[in-house]
Amino acid sequence: MAIFNLKKREIECKVVYYGPGRCGKTTNLEYVFKSYKKQVTGEMVSINTEGDRTLFFDFLPIGLGKIKGCDIRVQLYTVPGQVKYSSTRKLVLRGVDGIVFVADSLEVRREKNMISLKDLQSNLKEYGKSIFKVPLIMQYNKRDLADEGIPLMSIEQMDRDLNRQLKVPSFPGSAVKGTGVGATLKGCLIETLKSLQREFKWAK
Amino acid sequence: MNESVALSGSLNFLSLGDIIQLLGSSGSTGVLRLINRYAPDPGFIYFIEGNPVNAQNGDIEELDALYSLFGWVSGSFEFTREAILADKRINKSRMGIILEGMKLLDDGQIKKVGPATTSDKAADMKRLLSKTAIVKGPLVDYMYVVDEEDFFDNEHIVEEGKHGSWIWVILEGVVDIVKEVDSGAIPIIRIGDGSFIGSMASFLLQGHIRKATAVAVGNVQLGVLDSQRLAQEYAGMSLEFRTFLTSLDKRMKQLTDRIVEYHDGSIQTTEILKDKKVLIRQAKPEEEQLYVVKQGRASVVRNTENGPVVLCHLYKGDFFGDVPFLHLGQEPEGATIYGSENIKIAKIEAVSLQMEYNRLSTTFKNIVDNMATCMSVTADIVCRSLNSKKETAADLDVRQGL
Repeated sequence: MAIFNLKKREIECKVVYYGPGRCGKTTNLEYVFKSYKKQVTGEMVSINTEGDRTLFFDFLPIGLGKIKGCDIRVQLYTVPGQVKYSSTRKLVLRGVDGIVFVADSLEVRREKNMISLKDLQSNLKEYGKSIFKVPLIMQYNKRDLADEGIPLMSIEQMDRDLNRQLKVPSFPGSAVKGTGVGATLKGCLIETLKSLQREFKWAK
Repeated sequence: MNESVALSGSLNFLSLGDIIQLLGSSGSTGVLRLINRYAPDPGFIYFIEGNPVNAQNGDIEELDALYSLFGWVSGSFEFTREAILADKRINKSRMGIILEGMKLLDDGQIKKVGPATTSDKAADMKRLLSKTAIVKGPLVDYMYVVDEEDFFDNEHIVEEGKHGSWIWVILEGVVDIVKEVDSGAIPIIRIGDGSFIGSMASFLLQGHIRKATAVAVGNVQLGVLDSQRLAQEYAGMSLEFRTFLTSLDKRMKQLTDRIVEYHDGSIQTTEILKDKKVLIRQAKPEEEQLYVVKQGRASVVRNTENGPVVLCHLYKGDFFGDVPFLHLGQEPEGATIYGSENIKIAKIEAVSLQMEYNRLSTTFKNIVDNMATCMSVTADIVCRSLNSKKETAADLDVRQGL
């Protein structure tokens, strides 16, 4: 549910980074904030939530065109994973237009990824959305750790684990180094805008 | 009513976080006023071009006040467009405030102010019911006020046991409702502006006997309500709705009596609870349904940290279950319903009751709402009086032994 700001001729949409704790959601957004400074408007809001940080800032995508002559402004959020932060989660997930699911490539986190994805599904359901319909992108994060000899799951295995039914675009990444971060965000924005375009055509 | 109000509604529907985002994206300048029946004063947030610049909640101001308002999960809001001359005292970004506010709320650092929904709120309610806790009613509808009366400090407005059928609305001031017992007066509840004195039973039966004493705290201005008009409206309601109201009134009376009983220690919870089946379990609303008792007895019991507390008993014709349009603070969120062996119950359609409720005149609706709020608060006082009783029980035993 993007917001049309007729005064500013802007369409405001919401992209949320979701994933298990310490998977790198925050690192992803921090990298975007640092590397795309020109496209970021306003400051980054950072809230210390238990076990994770919740981040928020506004982002102006460049080179993705306009919708009906309106500029597009994207609000980027991370969402706190802890169960008790239900008010925050509700506020962040309400009216979400696109989601990046950041999965942890570490072998030991395999189960955590699946639980978190399941959790996302039930949260979305609560707000009347289906995980199969909402624009969703997967990022298999921490690929760089393979160089250090830490056991990682293969991309194929992660695809089987998490993406077998969803069949959404997926990107390998290393948020610490910045690899794949831009591609993931771009992928998600494309999917989000496509879905918005579809909505408007349908509305015509 | 007020033409300058640009946006108003219920906080249940649109939370403070959503409102701030909405005002932010429209770049509005003006005052957001929040009203909560459980708080003595309204809260204010001042906006300049969509950004909050200052806030006020009772004695606290600025950012702390703004955060505390996130705890107002129920109530109403209205936004008026006007020029703001105040200094900019809040500099944090809009989204930063919202996310921080939500986080503080989830962390339990902001006190939730609203009707009790689960037993873990008992601690909050205790603080809420300190000396300053006053149950306020909705805005007074002057259409039904036929006369005004003034009472001075400590003056008795009505006395328990006397006949009388007037109903008053408090225009200004505070009134204590007390029960008279041999050992003195037991305070029941403290009510303020917009609350009503006198119960619905006044026009249900002729020669109604007052159930409690109302005492003015400081000077009080009351509005006498047009009881004939109210009685006429009552007469025009369906039998079902009238039974519903009578049942509400009975509950209120029992809750009041219960405070006295627990005060005397003349009630044994464990005995009452013997051989009863559970009809609705506290805080586990599996279905939202309203029932009526056809035969036997049902008990409304709240489970607290200090054991179960019997709030009231229901008999033939009384309702129980989820009332979609009123917050009673009892079942299903705040109490369990036990049924006697021979109990028979039937489902009732809440929809027709709700439609009738929506058709009520403003004053009548206010009376019903105010009663629901009082019931919710009184139920908490019942639990509290039992708990404080237990704490002092040891002392008492010693004294009685002497």
